[in-house]
Amino acid sequence: MDLRSLQVLKLATTVALVLGLASTGAAQAPSDSAEPAQAAQAPTRQAEIEREQAAKVSNLHPYEVNRAEKLFQRVDTILEGGTLRWHPFFENAYSGGGFTLGLGHATYVSAYNYIDVRGSWTFSNYKRIEAEFVAPRMFNRRAQLSVIGGWRDATQVGFYGIGTDTSVDDRTNYRFKQPYGNALFTIFPTRKLLMLRGGAELSRWSQESGEGSFPSIETKYTPESLPGLGAEVTYFHTQGAVGIDWRPAPGYARRGGYYGVSLHDYRDPDEALGFHMVEYQAIQHVPILREAWVLSFRGRVQNSSDKDGQDTPFFMLPALGGGSSLRGYSSWRFRDQNSLLLQAEWRIPVNRYLDIAFFYDAGKVAPRMADLDLDGLKDDFGIGTRFHGPFSTPLRVELAKSHEGLSFIFSTGPSF
Amino acid sequence: MFPSMLSSRARRVASLLLAGSAVAAFATVATMQGPRFYPDDPIAREPESQSAAKAAPYDQSQMYELMFNLFVNSGHQASGLRSQNINTIGEVPDSSWFTNRIGTRPITTEEITRGPQAGVPPDPSKWVLFREKTSGSHPGFTAKDGKGETWFIEFDPPWAPEAATGSVIMATKVFWALGYNQVETFLTTLDPKKTTIDPGATIRRPNGKRTKFNQDDINVILEGVARNKDGSYRVVAGRQLPGRILGGFQYVGTRPDDPNDVVPHQHRRELRGLRVFGAWTSLTDLKAANTIDTVLTENGKTFVKHYLQDVGSTFGMSNDHYEWDLGYEYFYDGPGSKKRLLTLGFGLSPWQTVDYIEYKSVGKFEGKVFDPRKWKPQTPTVAYMEMRADDAFWAAQRIAAFSDDLIRAIVKAGEYSDPAAEKYLGDVLIQRRERIKEIYLTAVNPIVNPRLDAKGLTFENAAVAGGVAKAPETYRASWMRFDNATGATTPLSETKSTATTIPVPNGLPSSGYVAVDIAADSAMYPTWKVPVRAYFRQEGGGWKLVGFERLPDKLPVQKTS
Repeated sequence: MDLRSLQVLKLATTVALVLGLASTGAAQAPSDSAEPAQAAQAPTRQAEIEREQAAKVSNLHPYEVNRAEKLFQRVDTILEGGTLRWHPFFENAYSGGGFTLGLGHATYVSAYNYIDVRGSWTFSNYKRIEAEFVAPRMFNRRAQLSVIGGWRDATQVGFYGIGTDTSVDDRTNYRFKQPYGNALFTIFPTRKLLMLRGGAELSRWSQESGEGSFPSIETKYTPESLPGLGAEVTYFHTQGAVGIDWRPAPGYARRGGYYGVSLHDYRDPDEALGFHMVEYQAIQHVPILREAWVLSFRGRVQNSSDKDGQDTPFFMLPALGGGSSLRGYSSWRFRDQNSLLLQAEWRIPVNRYLDIAFFYDAGKVAPRMADLDLDGLKDDFGIGTRFHGPFSTPLRVELAKSHEGLSFIFSTGPSF
Repeated sequence: MFPSMLSSRARRVASLLLAGSAVAAFATVATMQGPRFYPDDPIAREPESQSAAKAAPYDQSQMYELMFNLFVNSGHQASGLRSQNINTIGEVPDSSWFTNRIGTRPITTEEITRGPQAGVPPDPSKWVLFREKTSGSHPGFTAKDGKGETWFIEFDPPWAPEAATGSVIMATKVFWALGYNQVETFLTTLDPKKTTIDPGATIRRPNGKRTKFNQDDINVILEGVARNKDGSYRVVAGRQLPGRILGGFQYVGTRPDDPNDVVPHQHRRELRGLRVFGAWTSLTDLKAANTIDTVLTENGKTFVKHYLQDVGSTFGMSNDHYEWDLGYEYFYDGPGSKKRLLTLGFGLSPWQTVDYIEYKSVGKFEGKVFDPRKWKPQTPTVAYMEMRADDAFWAAQRIAAFSDDLIRAIVKAGEYSDPAAEKYLGDVLIQRRERIKEIYLTAVNPIVNPRLDAKGLTFENAAVAGGVAKAPETYRASWMRFDNATGATTPLSETKSTATTIPVPNGLPSSGYVAVDIAADSAMYPTWKVPVRAYFRQEGGGWKLVGFERLPDKLPVQKTS
């Protein structure tokens, strides 16, 4: 169970209970006790008060906790670090799957380590089921380990061709199923700021004809024209990353920044579809006038390079489009060997729980790193609302406009 | 806790009747059928006649209270009722809630420096930790000192060394002087080298189980707090309260298990007055979890004692360094949110532009643009929203009684290493005190302390005495004969004076009761024309003040915010 999921549950519970309160408010409203009782004659003020106190004796009872408060007591327990068993899970199998329903169940195997079994389903019939073992406090809280095993099925992943100049009308779909297992080990040598990460993953990609209203990919492409089409490939993926992170939390921040680079090696045992990938990312939040506004910026460059005599398969190419990159374009709208993404947001914190934001995204994909310049950028703009807590963004709703139309984004995480 | 919605109708009706009876017992309403004044009026102490031994522990869900205060109580319509625990002369009698101190008797700087401290300070030569602190925003432990006594230890955040501990020390002295029951707190040190863990200490883990408290649990806390140069930690230690702990009290309703608790808490003046005291000190965290009820047995009586237990969220101390809106907005503030939403943040809120002189050891605390009427805690309580102008006047009088010397003594007790920070804190408290006096002592007729004798009717003008208003042109007294049995008044005559002694009229009765309405003609303060009413009873050859009303029993119903 990740932090985001936890926060989602907290928010959902809170909202539900607040709504419930509205109906109980009347019953809970305090009495002003304005009606003066018929005061019997008493010799003194003290005797009068004592008489009232004596009268209350026959009506004493303990506090009674109503149902709404009982539910909130559970929320309190969770917020104080208690156990959360069942939780919602909103991550779909693959980007572009649409609205997601999911559920998870965490089982602690020790004081802090737990196994989270979870699954999700989308209306596009994307499916995902996985189990994750999380050890969040290794080596005196300087390291975290995550081990995941799972399977997913993405039924209609979009492919529009290679490059930036493809047409939205050229969309085709493909489907893939993938069993996967990975381990990710993250070290914080000083418990803050510096982050080092290493990981390994074994996964198998099995392609099938795409579903949905668009043509399936094999109707327009062949394995010769599109490297990796139809391939069943098993990847042994290793990665290393280093970053400096001084945001209060990755899930929600109004200040601080993140600067990092990650290196990936995808080894194909058949030595046909192996490649390297490097990703550079910079995020900076600039608060203005005591956070009346926050200017947030993100830049990301991805570069994949074929191994000798091998190709990067189309489905593993750097891509742009979707709710976390070029938001005015469909998921996986642009693919190529390299990608550049530039994002800027003007965030307006409305209160402790709600921000609105105006954003502008621009980016391009290119066959060569040298082509990642500012010419021919695809861009979009939009407005969004974010419901958030101090450290997480359980709900982000955005409307983005590009020259290809309007996109509505519903996400359970921050934009960046 | 207010009566549960699951309570039976009969129980609710009974509760209402009881509360209503309490109103009759305390308030000075004239509609009662019995005598207006009893021989023992005004009472100086609220009796606790019944045993509260059956009172049971209860802690309200903090999230429930937060949500209820923010989204239900924030729309509360104030009743307009006069406080119901005051005596017939409008003062708060001593009780298990409150003890009259400043403003009713002289307090020396030595006494206020001591504050609630009654016993010996902790012995920091050794600390044995046995429980983590689970509430509040600043980390801490429960620990035994070198003498084996139990203390609650709290640290400073790394971004504000001395600020949190200093705030607790200062605030306990302020609120003790104001009359509230306070925890004995001391500034001391915790040296990790002299700190051990009780073998039986456990901590609740995320898996729900309690396991042994270990060194890493200590490290988790110590890594997130301010450390002294010598490796020790400045901490504030609060002595464990005596008696059986029941949990916090609610700012509304009465304890259903305490027979002596017959006045709804929202109608207790000392809880309403916290709105003004809170504004002065910026006590932003007004929640039940920061209060404690305990069951005590003293002199053969078992009763519930009510404490303001955690007053550390004061003097600009916030949960994190970037909580700029504390004191200006509730945790959810509808108007502020709407304004920022509609103006895209260009409609700046006051907290975004106010000038803070930022010392590391002082929170966001200033006195130049401070307006107590606009001050807000994190969440509104019903008692906060029920405050009337006479409650605010009472509270402002108490604050006015803090001399500059007393304020400086309180701040000095915070042991700030930066003299400039100490001076700044004192300056701001004095500025805020003056602002409160200007606003609340002048808002209603400020006549106080009326005495009637052969020289005439003598009184003080609290606003003039406080140096925040010019004396009015004239004081007028309308004299009446008063029938204590029926409540009827018979006009006698009117006298007036330009001074604070008004001659008595001819024909003043020599026995029984007289009532006198005292008004002040001031061009600057038209509200002073609304008279206060004093009741005197002939007793022992002189006139004794037995009744005093600054405002009517019930004011027009108003929506507060």
